[in-house]
Amino acid sequence: MNEQQIHSKIRLMESDVKNAVRQRTLETCTGGPSIERTRLFFLLLPLFTGKPWSGEIEASAKTVSIVYAALHAHDQVKEVATTKKQQLTVLAGDFYSGIYYQMLANLNNFTLIQRLATAITKVSEQKTSFYETVIRSEEEIERSVQIIESDLLTTFYRYYGYEEYAQLAEVSLQYVRYSEELAYWEAGVHTQLLKTLYHSLQPAASIETWLMEKLDQLEEEMLELVNHHLLPYDLKNYLLHKITPHQHRAEQLTREG
Amino acid sequence: MEKMKLKLLYSDLRPELEIIEKELEQAVDSSSHLLNDASLHLLQAGGKRIRPVFVLLAGKFGNYNIDVMKQVAVPLELIHMASLVHDDVIDDSEIRRGQPTVKAQWNNNVAMYTGDFILARALEHITEIDMPSIHHILSKTMIEVCRGEIIQIEDKYKLDQNLRSYLRRIKRKTALLISSSCELGALVSGTDEKTAAHLRRFGYFIGMSFQIIDDILDFTASDEELGKPAGSDFMNGNITLPVLCARKDPAIYAVLKANLKQDLSDDARVEIVEMIRNSPAVGEAKMMSERYLHKALKELSYLPKSAANRTMRNIAFFIGKRKF
Repeated sequence: MNEQQIHSKIRLMESDVKNAVRQRTLETCTGGPSIERTRLFFLLLPLFTGKPWSGEIEASAKTVSIVYAALHAHDQVKEVATTKKQQLTVLAGDFYSGIYYQMLANLNNFTLIQRLATAITKVSEQKTSFYETVIRSEEEIERSVQIIESDLLTTFYRYYGYEEYAQLAEVSLQYVRYSEELAYWEAGVHTQLLKTLYHSLQPAASIETWLMEKLDQLEEEMLELVNHHLLPYDLKNYLLHKITPHQHRAEQLTREG
Repeated sequence: MEKMKLKLLYSDLRPELEIIEKELEQAVDSSSHLLNDASLHLLQAGGKRIRPVFVLLAGKFGNYNIDVMKQVAVPLELIHMASLVHDDVIDDSEIRRGQPTVKAQWNNNVAMYTGDFILARALEHITEIDMPSIHHILSKTMIEVCRGEIIQIEDKYKLDQNLRSYLRRIKRKTALLISSSCELGALVSGTDEKTAAHLRRFGYFIGMSFQIIDDILDFTASDEELGKPAGSDFMNGNITLPVLCARKDPAIYAVLKANLKQDLSDDARVEIVEMIRNSPAVGEAKMMSERYLHKALKELSYLPKSAANRTMRNIAFFIGKRKF
């Protein structure tokens, strides 16, 4: 698949997912679901690499994307949620959860419903951990981020026998998350993760430095994994430039790789 | 007191309900201390457990096995609990059942994740059952319940909405989950389709009656009895049956219209509550609740006479007469 085909498939999937959860009021007032292309890329990665794929697997991939949208909606709920938009954001998450259950129930895939539900409990536990008053170690925070970003996806991989991509997805999704957190930090926005990091880092350490070092480390790991998987050039290029765009170093290595 | 009276009606189910209660506690057990505390806080605030009761009673019309019945009863209560935590965020409620809500005790984010966690636990449990019909019914119900809540938000502060909108809203908001509790209890115990259909309709009618009474009590019960300020529905812009009946009086309509706004003062709230309480609207709304109650009882009359049938009948009567 060339870059254009990869891009088209991701766009098509995005449109299918949006159609599956379409609800007039939610769309008008909340802007509809947040479907992140990064996650769609990883959900479709087995297809892009020529692994066995079917209509059922694609439908399951869509439901994973819907679960992410459901959880993401609930992340957007603010401390004062009395506006119509906020109230509907709460309901959007619940509505998308119902759709995910219904879609997999229609496929009679109760095992995947159960496994995704287990992943949701883990993600919810980790998200809540950022509100605990106890000081957590850096390793614990990193582990939380990994679960929040990729547990649903790796559940899907494990269920369909695509575990080989789990590590690449985990590293890349953490990379994307920390990049976003760095951008928030630079913009003066203090997310709950940044607040948790602030309390956990050694007094002399700076969050900005910590995030940049983390990004460098993840980038190294990502490039290693990309080369290890022997991904086709177009796919590798798409991942490094469209999904996890970062420093020029990545670009150089891609060309060499 | 009222809850005690209700519990007496299904005291035969006490051993099974104790099992359900333990299962609920286990179901919300989490490695996260905060989630554990929030979930247990919610669980220990109590509740009528009316959904598990209906699952169990419906199961008595088939091959009753508590180990099978609890697989449906527990998730249905969890789904209800999850929706309550999220509803409190939507309504900005500080108190529920006389206790601080999860959002008040912690914050909105913790409330959102607690709801997500509990809902996921419900799905983990229900998928132990390998019966497609159960999942088709329940998933459809969950979606419809959300649609009902979305419509409720759309209809907020709209005094001129029609009765049909209200009935459709409460059907989705309350009646469907009670109806599904009865139907799923019947299906999982292997009753025939006809029995399951009667039980489903019984649940639907009783759910409608239950919600109408709830909406009446919001005006007629005291703050202490409700565990929240009387007139909270109106204060939040939710137009319920007593208001729809009362607005027929032009003088009342004018007062309602003038006060249907955010940040209603406490004096205005008390005035509205008094006005509705003393109007014929309460009686009219009660009559409608009774109509649904009679329909529910009619459904029971088609089913074999049994202890479960009697208990359902007694619960139905209680719901029609409850004070809060």
